[in-house]
Amino acid sequence: MNWFQYVFAGWFVYVALIVFVGGLIWQIVKWRRVAKSRIVMGMFPKPAGLGARSAKMLKDTFFFPWVLDYSKSIWLFAGAFHLAGLLMFVGHLRLIHEFTPLVAWLGASGMDQFAFLTGGAFGIVLTVALIYLLLRRFGTPYKDLSVPEDYLLLILLLLIVTMGNHLRFFGTVHVTDYRDYVMSLLTFKPAFNAAILSSNVPWSLTTHVMLACAFLIYFPFSKLVHSIGAFATNLVRSE
Amino acid sequence: MDDIKVDLELDLKGLLCPLPMVRVSQNISKVPVGGVIRATATDPGSLADIPSWARSTGNEIIKQEQEGSNLIYYIKRIK
Amino acid sequence: MTPEANARAELLQLIDSKMNRTLKYYLDTCVRCAICKDACHQYVATGDVLYLPAYRAELIRRIYKKYMTGSGRLLPKLFEGRDPEDDVLLDELYKTTYACTSCRRCMFWCPFSIDTSWVLAVAKALLLATGRGSEILTQLADSAIDKGKNIDLYTGVIREVLKGSEEEMRRIVQDPSAGFVYDKQGADVLYVALAGTHTILPAAIVFHQAGEDWTLSSFEGSNYGYFLGDTVKAKAIAQRIVDEAKTLGVKEIVMSECGHAHRVMRDFYRMWAKEELPAPMVSILSKVDGYIKDGRIKVTPGKITEPVTYHDPCQIGRNFGLFEEPRNVVRATCSDFRDMTPNRQKQWCCGGGGGLVAETEFDDVRLKSGRLKADQIKATGAKILVTPCENCRLQIESLNDHYDLGVRVSAVLDLVVEAIEIKPR
Repeated sequence: MNWFQYVFAGWFVYVALIVFVGGLIWQIVKWRRVAKSRIVMGMFPKPAGLGARSAKMLKDTFFFPWVLDYSKSIWLFAGAFHLAGLLMFVGHLRLIHEFTPLVAWLGASGMDQFAFLTGGAFGIVLTVALIYLLLRRFGTPYKDLSVPEDYLLLILLLLIVTMGNHLRFFGTVHVTDYRDYVMSLLTFKPAFNAAILSSNVPWSLTTHVMLACAFLIYFPFSKLVHSIGAFATNLVRSE
Repeated sequence: MDDIKVDLELDLKGLLCPLPMVRVSQNISKVPVGGVIRATATDPGSLADIPSWARSTGNEIIKQEQEGSNLIYYIKRIK
Repeated sequence: MTPEANARAELLQLIDSKMNRTLKYYLDTCVRCAICKDACHQYVATGDVLYLPAYRAELIRRIYKKYMTGSGRLLPKLFEGRDPEDDVLLDELYKTTYACTSCRRCMFWCPFSIDTSWVLAVAKALLLATGRGSEILTQLADSAIDKGKNIDLYTGVIREVLKGSEEEMRRIVQDPSAGFVYDKQGADVLYVALAGTHTILPAAIVFHQAGEDWTLSSFEGSNYGYFLGDTVKAKAIAQRIVDEAKTLGVKEIVMSECGHAHRVMRDFYRMWAKEELPAPMVSILSKVDGYIKDGRIKVTPGKITEPVTYHDPCQIGRNFGLFEEPRNVVRATCSDFRDMTPNRQKQWCCGGGGGLVAETEFDDVRLKSGRLKADQIKATGAKILVTPCENCRLQIESLNDHYDLGVRVSAVLDLVVEAIEIKPR
C-alpha cells in the first residue's frame, strides 16, 4: 500500500465508521430531545393499537404503496434502487465471513458464479436507477426543488457503484483477496495483499472505499436520515 | 340622518357569512377617509360580523337599519 | 449585536419554539422526491413549483438547515440555506402558505407521510412575526374575538332577526311552541352553528323532531385565527365556545357542518389551551346518522329522486375521520346516490379550504385548482352536490358558475329536512 491507499482505503474507514455510528446516534438523540407535540396529527382511516399501527407503518415504509397511484416509474426505480442497495450491502458481508450454508449448497465455484451474477445484476440495477434519479432531477419541476445536496449524493453513489462495477466486471482479483483486505482492516493493520497490488484494481478499490467512506461520513448529516426518520413519520400518520 | 352622503353602494344580499364582512373590508379602501359605504346584507350573522369588524379595524357604523329581511349598514371610513 | 442580527435571532427563536419532534422529523426526512406534486390540486392545475408541497416546506427547511443544523451551518450552500428575514423568501412563503388549503392530500401520498400543512404552520408564525400575516384573515379573526368580548351587544338583535326563521321552523314542524333554544342551562347538547341561519334552521328542525335537549351557541364554529395561523387568536376564538359550554354545563358540544371547526374543537383546542374540552365534541353528522338509525327521526327513503353526489370535505373526511356517517344520511334521503372518483380519503380537495374563499387575492389559483373537483362532479352526472363544509360549499357554488356545472349545492342537513317525515303532535 502506498500512503494514499493506506490513508484512504485504510484509516479513513475507521474514521468513517465512527462518524457514521456516532453521527446517527447524535441525530437520534437530537430528535429525542425535542418535545413531542401535544397534538394528534394522524390521518384517516387509521388502524387502532400499536400493533396494527406498526404493521401499517412498516408496510408504508418498505412498500410505499400509495406511490403506485401516481407514478409507477418512480415506484419501480426507487424500489429497485433501495432493494438493490440493500442486497448489495448484504453481499458485501461475504467479505467478512463466507456465507457457508450457501457454499455448502452451491459448491465453491457455484457460489462464486452466484455472487458474480447477483452482484453484477445489482450493480447494473443501481447504475441504471441512479442515472434515472439523477436525470430526473434536471427536469421540471424537480430542478426547481432540488438543492446541491441532491445532486451530490446521487453523483457520489454513482461513482461508488461505478468503481464497484469495475471491480466486479473488470477486476482480476478474487473474493479471498478482498477478504484478506477486509481482515486487515478488522485487525487494524490495513493492507492490500500481493495479489491485489499486482492486479488492475488498486486504484478503483481505493476510490470505491474512499468514496463509500465519504458517503458514510455525510450520511447522518444529510437527507439520508430518512432511512430512520421514515419509521417515525409513518407512525405519526396513524397517530 | 337621511342626508348621509353615500360614496359606495354594496349589494351583499344572499351572501353568507363571513363574505359580507369580507366584501366590506375589500371595499373600504375605495372610499376616501370620512366616506361612507352603504352595505345591504341578508345574513343575520352580519349583525355581529360587520359591527365587530368596524370596531376592531377602527371604522364606524354610523347607522344600521332593517327593511324586511334586508340589513342595511352605513359604514364610515375613519382611517 | 446589530439590530438586524437581533431581529434575525428573534425570528430564529420563534421558528425554534414551533419545532416539535415530529416537525424536525419532517424537515430532516424529506428527500425532495416530489411524489407529492401529483397529490396537490394547486400544483396539478397550475404546474407552478410554488405550489409543489415539498417546495412549500422546502422554504422553511432552507432556513432550518442554515441555522438549526450542523451540516447546514457548515455548508449552507449545499442546502441553499436562506435567512428568515429574506424578503424574496418571505414573499414566496406568503403566496404558497396562505394559498394552501391544508387538505393534507400530499401527506397521504408522501412515502414518509410528511404533513406539509404542519410545516406551513411554522411558516405562518414566521409571516405573522414579520408583519406579513394575511390581512383579511387577521380582520376576520379580530372581529370574531371582538364579538366574543361584546356578545351582549349582539345577541338581542340577532335573536330578533332570527325570529323569522323560527316562524319558518314552526310552519315546517307544525308545532306552534317550537323555536330556537337559547342559553338553556344543563342542556344535553350545545349546538355550535355558523353565523348564518342556514346552518341553524335545519338543525333546529332535526333536534325538534328527534326530541333532543339542545341549546344554541351564541358563537359560530368557524375560526379564522386558525387559518391565519395565530394560535393565540385561534385559542381566544375557540375559547368563547368552551366557556359557554362550561357555563351552561352541557353534556356534548355538537359541531355544525363546518370542516375546520371539527378539527379545531376536537384536535387543536387542547393543544392551544393545554386543557381538555369540558364536554366531548360530536359532529352533527354523527348525531343525525344516529337519529336515523335509532328511529328518532324518520326520513322518506328515496324522497330525493334526482342524482346526488357527496363531496368529502378534507377536514371532515381525511383529517377527521367521518366518511360513512354523512354518506349514510345522504343515502337515506335519495334514490340515486353516486360517489365521485376518487372519493373518501383520496378525495380531491375542492380548492376553497384554508380560508381561501375569503382571501380574494387567491381567486385565480382557487378557481383554477377547483377544475379537478369540477371535472369530478361533472363525471357523476349528479344534479345535487351535497357536502357539509361551508368553505367547500362556497367554493363549489363558485365552481358551479365558473365551470357551468349546473348542480344544486346543498348541505347534508338540508337534504334531511327535505326528506324528513314530520311527526304528528
